[in-house]
Amino acid sequence: MFGFLKKVGDYTQEAVGAARYITQGLGVTFDHMRRRPVTIQYPYEKLIPSERYRGRIHYEFDKCIACEVCVRVCPINLPVVDWVMNKATKKKELRNYSIDFGVCIFCGNCVEYCPTNCLSMTEEYELAAFDRHSLNYDNVALGRLPTSVTDDPAVRPMRELVYLPKGVVDPHGVAANEPRVGRLPEQVLETLPASAPADPGANA
Amino acid sequence: MQATPVVSPGLDLQASFIEALHGLGLSDGIARLLWLPLPMVLVLVAAVVGVLVNVWLERKISAAVQQRIGPEYAGALGVLQPLADGLKLVFKEDIIPARADGLLFTLGPVLVLVPVILSWLVVPFGQHLLISDVGIGIFLWIALSSIQPIGLLMSGYASNNKYALLGGLRAAAQSISYEIPLALAVLAVVMMSNSLSTIDIVNQQTGAGILSWNIWRQPVGFVIFWICALAECERLPFDLPEAEEELVAGYQTEYAGMKFALFYLGSYINLVLSALLVSVLYLGGWGAPVSVEWLAGVLGQSVDAPLVQVFTGSLGIVMTLLKAYLLVFFAILLRWTVPRVRIDQLLDLGWKFLLPIGLVNLLVTAALKLAFPQAFGG
Repeated sequence: MFGFLKKVGDYTQEAVGAARYITQGLGVTFDHMRRRPVTIQYPYEKLIPSERYRGRIHYEFDKCIACEVCVRVCPINLPVVDWVMNKATKKKELRNYSIDFGVCIFCGNCVEYCPTNCLSMTEEYELAAFDRHSLNYDNVALGRLPTSVTDDPAVRPMRELVYLPKGVVDPHGVAANEPRVGRLPEQVLETLPASAPADPGANA
Repeated sequence: MQATPVVSPGLDLQASFIEALHGLGLSDGIARLLWLPLPMVLVLVAAVVGVLVNVWLERKISAAVQQRIGPEYAGALGVLQPLADGLKLVFKEDIIPARADGLLFTLGPVLVLVPVILSWLVVPFGQHLLISDVGIGIFLWIALSSIQPIGLLMSGYASNNKYALLGGLRAAAQSISYEIPLALAVLAVVMMSNSLSTIDIVNQQTGAGILSWNIWRQPVGFVIFWICALAECERLPFDLPEAEEELVAGYQTEYAGMKFALFYLGSYINLVLSALLVSVLYLGGWGAPVSVEWLAGVLGQSVDAPLVQVFTGSLGIVMTLLKAYLLVFFAILLRWTVPRVRIDQLLDLGWKFLLPIGLVNLLVTAALKLAFPQAFGG
């Protein structure tokens, strides 16, 4: 008899607990309704890519020495370096250079290893195309600079979370000159005690 | 126009309309015939507009809960978005999958939608503002709502698709197990008002404004009814029949275009209908939180004055819709609060929790009715 009553009591307690938890959950969802939307309204607002963003690769034809290091460090040997040996001058003559961004994984190895720094990363990420072959950029297309989000008059640039001032989560309405959270490297330098002049033998 | 002595007759548009046509020299039969389609068309339009509002609310509230904006560019605040969705569905190709049963496949959505729309027959917005005050009232709705799973099963079976079949079976199992506690909850209310008619059920809740609503006398019944109504509408936490993570879209998987739109329309009309019936059964229907008769007395107005009648009539409609949409809002909020239950949890909740509680609720109501006949409608 008491066993049965205990069962009923436990069951009731469980049901009441479940109801309480559901009410608590409803409170959470209800509270979220008064918060401002955090979404970036994409074509009208865009996030500013971070400094080390690995976007579409930029290439400077005149700097390139056709050494093909980029091809060797590429996981799939993607860059196509089209050169001929000039017998008279005994120098490589570069004709064409292309990277297919339909295949590129944006690992950045080519940029890392390029001996003449003719390759670099841009912040361009809008690479959608109707035809995959149009993603095969030749040296002219690779030499173009993308429109910066901050310069585009049709776009309202939004800062990413780590670039926002301390305690701010929503990029909307943050003034452009407001400093980001934390200190910049030069600010960190200022706080350091003046150390002895660098010992030239220390790094050797 | 015979009215109960307690409740004022209020607006009777039908009687006024027929009287006006009498004045034009038409016979009684023709006047009635001319009146018939008017409320039907009006309610059909109201149901469809209600769905559009519901879809918009669903998308906007869902967005707000998730800190998004939701539809924004179709009309002001995206109010035309549901209309655009509907138009898109109308123009889409009507596809019947290969080796599907064409007849059952077409009949399924119709069988789902028609009973739901038919149920609007008994939804009152005022003393005389309903299509027909049928004697079996609320029972008609329960009877009609049990046709729906047949349509779902039919479309699931006819789709020639395993997900659709599973969805259809789940829908049938769910509807059957939640119909019983639903009927028990309704039965307790019916016992208190001594009538199945929705008009009588609301009239029994008028008198003292918010204090005379059934929710104070039937709190358990209210919760049971609302849970079961959500399950009948296949709303989240109980949306197993169309659980998109496991069953693609359940019985709707193979449907496109207008047939899919019928399912869509059916599920939303059902939600609005359930919310309306909760407000009728438990929240005093068209009754305002403050008794209108009392208010008219305080303001020194006669309840039978034409202007006051129009005012009470519109207030009744506004009140009914307000209560219904509050419940819809609650359902949408609940959608983003609770996770979907498993099929065994669903059946557990229906058979082992709601059914016994519903029975106890019924017995307690009966006992209270015998003990306090004046408070519990003896």
